[in-house]
Amino acid sequence: MGTQRCECSSAVASTACAPNLSAERAARLRLVGGSTQRAGDLDGLLAGIAAGDAAAFAQFYDTTKARVFGLVTRVLRDPGYSEETTQEVYVQVWHTAARYDAREGSALAWLMTLAHRRAVDRVRAEQATARRESRYGATTVDPAADVVADAAITRDEARRVANCLGALTDAQRQAIEMAYYEGLTYPQVAHRLSTSLGTIKSRMREGLRGLRDCLGAP
Amino acid sequence: MNQPSKIDLLELATPYALDAVTPTERAAIETRLAAAPAPIAHAFHAEVRAVRETLAALSATTSAEPPAALRAQVLSTVVQPARRRFGWRSTLLAAAAAVAIGLGALGIGLSMRPPATPSTAEQVFTAPDVHTTTAAISTGGTATVVYSRQHHAGVLVMNNPTPPAPGTVYQMWLLDDHAPTSAGTLGRTAIRPSTTTVLPDLANSSAVAFTIEPGTGSPQPTGAVIAKLPLT
Repeated sequence: MGTQRCECSSAVASTACAPNLSAERAARLRLVGGSTQRAGDLDGLLAGIAAGDAAAFAQFYDTTKARVFGLVTRVLRDPGYSEETTQEVYVQVWHTAARYDAREGSALAWLMTLAHRRAVDRVRAEQATARRESRYGATTVDPAADVVADAAITRDEARRVANCLGALTDAQRQAIEMAYYEGLTYPQVAHRLSTSLGTIKSRMREGLRGLRDCLGAP
Repeated sequence: MNQPSKIDLLELATPYALDAVTPTERAAIETRLAAAPAPIAHAFHAEVRAVRETLAALSATTSAEPPAALRAQVLSTVVQPARRRFGWRSTLLAAAAAVAIGLGALGIGLSMRPPATPSTAEQVFTAPDVHTTTAAISTGGTATVVYSRQHHAGVLVMNNPTPPAPGTVYQMWLLDDHAPTSAGTLGRTAIRPSTTTVLPDLANSSAVAFTIEPGTGSPQPTGAVIAKLPLT
């Protein structure tokens, strides 16, 4: 178990694993994901949005929409709810972009935090578990024409991250996934797995640390 | 739990960052944080930040394109109704211009082509073994190669490169165990904010490198390497 690690192949080395590249810069280059644009671009777009620039907002949407919609869909498992929630997320971005502070983390992390919070609030409000289970996977994904290259890059990045996820223990991965994707609280996760609260918290913590180490994130 | 210790608060950082707490607990945690000693609060925030960056990276694995119609709905929510007619149009034009700067331009170009014979770029982008490698260009900008070993081909994307000085070109080289092979040159006029070039034959190269060469290029590299992208 412990021997399985992320593949720091030479292709990734330039952005993720090279020891001579500052960890922060490497993470910023990598975390922007799904695009060769750099994290600074998202920062700049958020600054534009805060100033009321609709074109910056459109570009921000185009750059990040697959990340947001993908995560929201993973949590809500319902295409209709996911579209509504995605729209709410971007409305919130439009109104709160001024609150983004690059010192507090990357723009993508800010956005995904916001998106996840909305999705989880929605799923808890709906309590439509049965419906979610049956609907997941039925989402009609519309591959927009202008994302071919981005999609290829995303796929490669997704594979790297998935390798890291695969390197966690099953127990760690399960605890993270139940909380993050199913919207369960950590006591609910502990109850479902008939495990103590302390064990669940440490599985979540250790799992995320393992993932972070594997990804080379700060 | 009535007398939660400081350690308890730190243990909650990960569940908090995962949104694995109820809204009531979230509020309680935030209240405790506000009253916590600075080192504890600092450690809590550092853990939350680290977890959130990790989760942002994790979102690459769940990425999914929304329906195209959602774009108009989302953008319409931020357009002032009073100036919708003109504002909307200029928004679209500006957005189109903005998108054209990024990789989108290449994709749109591809999609408008007849689908009969997939181009090298399309083959690369849709290949099951697609890889990417990115490096900073020392003279400015970044270079990314999207490539497929199955197709022995790649697409080079340069973002915000500085054009080479007059009388010089950027020259691309394929590196392997033997002498570098030229993979073409990019002169001043070829450089745009987003410059894309197809690398039709990567053979068994282990890296793509860039040098600055005089005139229209050299048979072998003479200038300093300004970027090197390893290929697996």
